[in-house]
Amino acid sequence: MKRFETQGSGFRIIPAVVFFILYLVSSNASAHKVNIYAYAEDGMVFSEGYFADGSRSRNSRIEVIDAKTGEKLLEGKTGDDGRFSFKIPKAASLRLILHAGMGHQNDYTLSEEEIREALGMEKSVLRDQEPEAEGVGAENKTRPAVSGASPSEIEKAVEKVIDRKLQPVIRMLIALKENSEKPGITEILGGIGYIMGLMGIIMYFKSRRRD
Amino acid sequence: MHISEGVLSAPVLATGALLAAGGVALGLKKMDYERIPGVAVLSSAFFVASLIHVPAGPSSVHLVLNGLVGILLGWMAFPSILVALSLHAVLFQFGGITSLGVNTVIMAAPAVVSFYLFGPLVRKGHIMGILGGFGAGAAGIGIGSILVATALVSTGESFTGVAKLIVAAHLPVMVIEGIITAFCITFLKKVKPEILEVGK
Repeated sequence: MKRFETQGSGFRIIPAVVFFILYLVSSNASAHKVNIYAYAEDGMVFSEGYFADGSRSRNSRIEVIDAKTGEKLLEGKTGDDGRFSFKIPKAASLRLILHAGMGHQNDYTLSEEEIREALGMEKSVLRDQEPEAEGVGAENKTRPAVSGASPSEIEKAVEKVIDRKLQPVIRMLIALKENSEKPGITEILGGIGYIMGLMGIIMYFKSRRRD
Repeated sequence: MHISEGVLSAPVLATGALLAAGGVALGLKKMDYERIPGVAVLSSAFFVASLIHVPAGPSSVHLVLNGLVGILLGWMAFPSILVALSLHAVLFQFGGITSLGVNTVIMAAPAVVSFYLFGPLVRKGHIMGILGGFGAGAAGIGIGSILVATALVSTGESFTGVAKLIVAAHLPVMVIEGIITAFCITFLKKVKPEILEVGK
């Protein structure tokens, strides 16, 4: 009887412990995984390092190498907000390696097109058509009549507006990406399920061997 | 405490895998039928513990619970931790498949050490149990940090520099983990004392 009582009081603690652990998991789900995200714009590369729980990786070393040749181009450190930006050193595909210390590392590769576009080296769509339009004949030159702005000026203006309009969308996408990298409850329960399943399989085979 | 993929050199990874394989083989040998559920439950606990984040310094630190796993499982901590780490790598991309061996050694070896150091103490009286539990929890993390630093030396970082950084970052976890392990041991002693009778 006495033993029963101690067992009872013991098992009453279990739900409390489980809730405490679930609370910790849900409020602070995190672990040792670091991510890096980068994008190129206006001749600059902007990068951001963050851990799986969304906290920034502060004061971490970022190495920038040429993705093709492996040549190291530059290196720097992230600030307090986990960000690091630099001028594009070379019109080539760039690989950013984030060293967050204690064995944490991840990388992100920017494609050559992305870099070239950010440098303004990509051929402009409107300017491409220019020679052809001129060839048609001088009397057809109605374009400048719009407002006296040249096609390249119009393109620049449009690009600026689009960039500005897309800013919130890009931020939202980054936030979504960060969120999707956090471990979800499905994966946690799934992992426990895998362990229980494995236990079942091992017990099944061991029990047959015992017969 | 999970070392990411692509950080360590091939010889270090191979050594880690070999040591882990040896530990797992020993653990499986000791794992008889009645022990399998216990190993699985502790594997689950270890799996979830890594998701509990302890805010500490610039880096992200989490619970490990390898001291507790070690006290309760002895050498069986190796297979138990290997299973949980494989799932970490596959489901959450913590650590990685190639660094699985090294990470298993980093977390399971301290578990076995705390089993031999604190196991006998834990099985004694009430106060001794608390002290032993605290010691096991703290040693699990402490020794693990030193192993991480050792593995990272091969990447060209200086041992003392890295070791200081890692041990400093894990000091709060050592204390928290010690308290949790002591609490668990006291609780188990009351509720299910036979679970502590491992290690023959």
